[in-house]
Amino acid sequence: MAEGSAMRIKQIAKKEVVEFARDWRTIIAIIVIPLLMFPLLFILFPVLLQSEAAELQSLELDLTIQTDGMPNNLSTIINQSSIQITYEELPILDDLSQPGDDLEKLRNGTVDAVLRITQSEDIWYYSILHMSTSEQSREAKSRLLYDLNEWENNETAARIESGGLDVNSTLDPLRWDGDISQADAATVGEQAGMALSMFIPLVLAVWTFSSAIQPSIDMTAGERERGTLEALLSLPCTRLELLLGKWLAVATITGVGVLLQIFGLLFAIGYLASSSILGVPELSILTIVLIIGAIMLFAIMVVAIELALAMRSHSVKEAGSILGPAIMLIIFPALFTQVINLDGIESFWFAIPVVNVLLALRELLMNRIITTHILIWVGTSLLYAVLAAKYASNQFKREDIVTSLS
Amino acid sequence: MTEKLLSIKGVAKHFDEIKALTHVDLDIHSGEIVGLVGSNGAGKTTLLRLMAGVYTPTSGSVTLQDGSDVTKMRHLLGVVPESTGLYSRLTAWENIRYHSRLYGIDDETSWKRTQLFASRLGMSDSLSRHTKGFSRGMKQKTALLRALAHGPSILLLDEPTAGLDITSARTVRALVKQLRDEGGTVVYSTHQLEEAKQVCDRIVIIHNGEVRADGSPQQLMQQTEQDSLEEAYVALTADQARARTEDDESEGRFTAWWRKLFTPKTPELEVELNG
Repeated sequence: MAEGSAMRIKQIAKKEVVEFARDWRTIIAIIVIPLLMFPLLFILFPVLLQSEAAELQSLELDLTIQTDGMPNNLSTIINQSSIQITYEELPILDDLSQPGDDLEKLRNGTVDAVLRITQSEDIWYYSILHMSTSEQSREAKSRLLYDLNEWENNETAARIESGGLDVNSTLDPLRWDGDISQADAATVGEQAGMALSMFIPLVLAVWTFSSAIQPSIDMTAGERERGTLEALLSLPCTRLELLLGKWLAVATITGVGVLLQIFGLLFAIGYLASSSILGVPELSILTIVLIIGAIMLFAIMVVAIELALAMRSHSVKEAGSILGPAIMLIIFPALFTQVINLDGIESFWFAIPVVNVLLALRELLMNRIITTHILIWVGTSLLYAVLAAKYASNQFKREDIVTSLS
Repeated sequence: MTEKLLSIKGVAKHFDEIKALTHVDLDIHSGEIVGLVGSNGAGKTTLLRLMAGVYTPTSGSVTLQDGSDVTKMRHLLGVVPESTGLYSRLTAWENIRYHSRLYGIDDETSWKRTQLFASRLGMSDSLSRHTKGFSRGMKQKTALLRALAHGPSILLLDEPTAGLDITSARTVRALVKQLRDEGGTVVYSTHQLEEAKQVCDRIVIIHNGEVRADGSPQQLMQQTEQDSLEEAYVALTADQARARTEDDESEGRFTAWWRKLFTPKTPELEVELNG
């Protein structure tokens, strides 16, 4: 590339980045949100879960027990569960699960649950009438099941003991010996890579696409709508230089956003998440290089397509209404890719657009370097990137890009 | 005869079915102000965009003095589009510098020229301000400075005084004449005949995509045997001007059909005209 051409591309990219960075809203959207998203999620989500659990625990629930004779100690156990109990006679029904006259009481919330329990010879039969769409009723059912389980364990132990048997050996005759984690041949790093491979490719793909939307629109349809494009097109730079300059700017902005998000995610994993759930993956230098290469090829394609689609649009509104739903083209393959089994996977999967890079990232995060797969995804990704760039270049050569519907 | 700088030969420009320009022959000479005058939709902007190399002619050629295609010699042109095309998040100087750098001009040279013309336009104190808060007149002046900073041979101005207050319009017109006096060449598009008469040495009347007349105001009056330039213009553009329709803007067929589907018909009102 000629020196003058490289200089013009650099100038176009520089100006776009400077102009973009001067909008504080952009900085929040591209820098602050990606950086803080995962750390905040890792902090707030457990807090929210704890708060919800505490709220449920504090609920005073109303229970009706219908029985013709309660088992020993069950009332005592239930009384410890913050449940107000009303006792009734057991109605005559074909089976205990038929709601009968209790249906209305559950639907209008007069009671949160109805426990029916009766004994036939040595077996106790029960049912819990509840309403699954009511949080209170679900909680009442949950507490009752917990209490019933406790009573059942006590009763089972008592019956085993009365039969002259040892409770532990009777109930638990098969046991794992030692530390389960020691028996796994996969290293901690590999396990972490597998866990991360389930969502890092998805995050990368969606964020790359979504963070490129706004700058792509602003630098194409936005320029067209604001009337700045005509002056630019009359300058001694080619349309290809214009495209490359804008591509470089969008790729830089998107790249910074994606890198910050990954940094935020790794920080959250390293410092905020329990190490037993997620760890730092073990990756070789070659794997890291291949991961960066895969992301770059994906970014080349995605940014070129977005610039092309935005340039085709006559206004910012039109571009937004095209690029917004277009994110589905990334989300669907990304979700689909999560459920594909990588063991013995057929090679053709690595030739499908979007899917190929996402699968490649999954394999690489698990530190699996399979030459055939790499050759296929690198080759096809290059092809798609070139086709996308060619399409974008064609859009930039259109004469009607100086006109706007605004 | 002065040196021929730009030559337009047999140029036509079509956008699908729309014939924006049918057949234009025009030469621009050094040291003159050429006014492109016509109603809205006549084809002035299309012609200017062809001169600027933004559009490629459907047929014919736009060449510079050495016979080279205008798209390869854009550094000789300075263009001020009607929309001015300034970036609001950049300062006036940053806007100028951005274009100058793309013209391959170093910042020092660009700054010196900018200061020279900024003082003539009363813009010296505003160069470090962001253009977001600029009035239409200040934007127009900044766009002019931007077009002049790299020292173009030909200045192409599209409706440079449209929307300007009287003082700003006078300043712009004065600068254009001053540039001509210093040997510069200007193509000046306007739909104001009186303005063209004040500023231009030569007036090219464009109507319905073709050149109807080309000459000094005096020559146009003689050619049409009219006493005033306005009468001459009316005589030269007697046929009804074509309407600038939405179809002029590129739009997909499906998009157009969809829009019409949700556009109710305008009711036909019977109005009785008395007297």
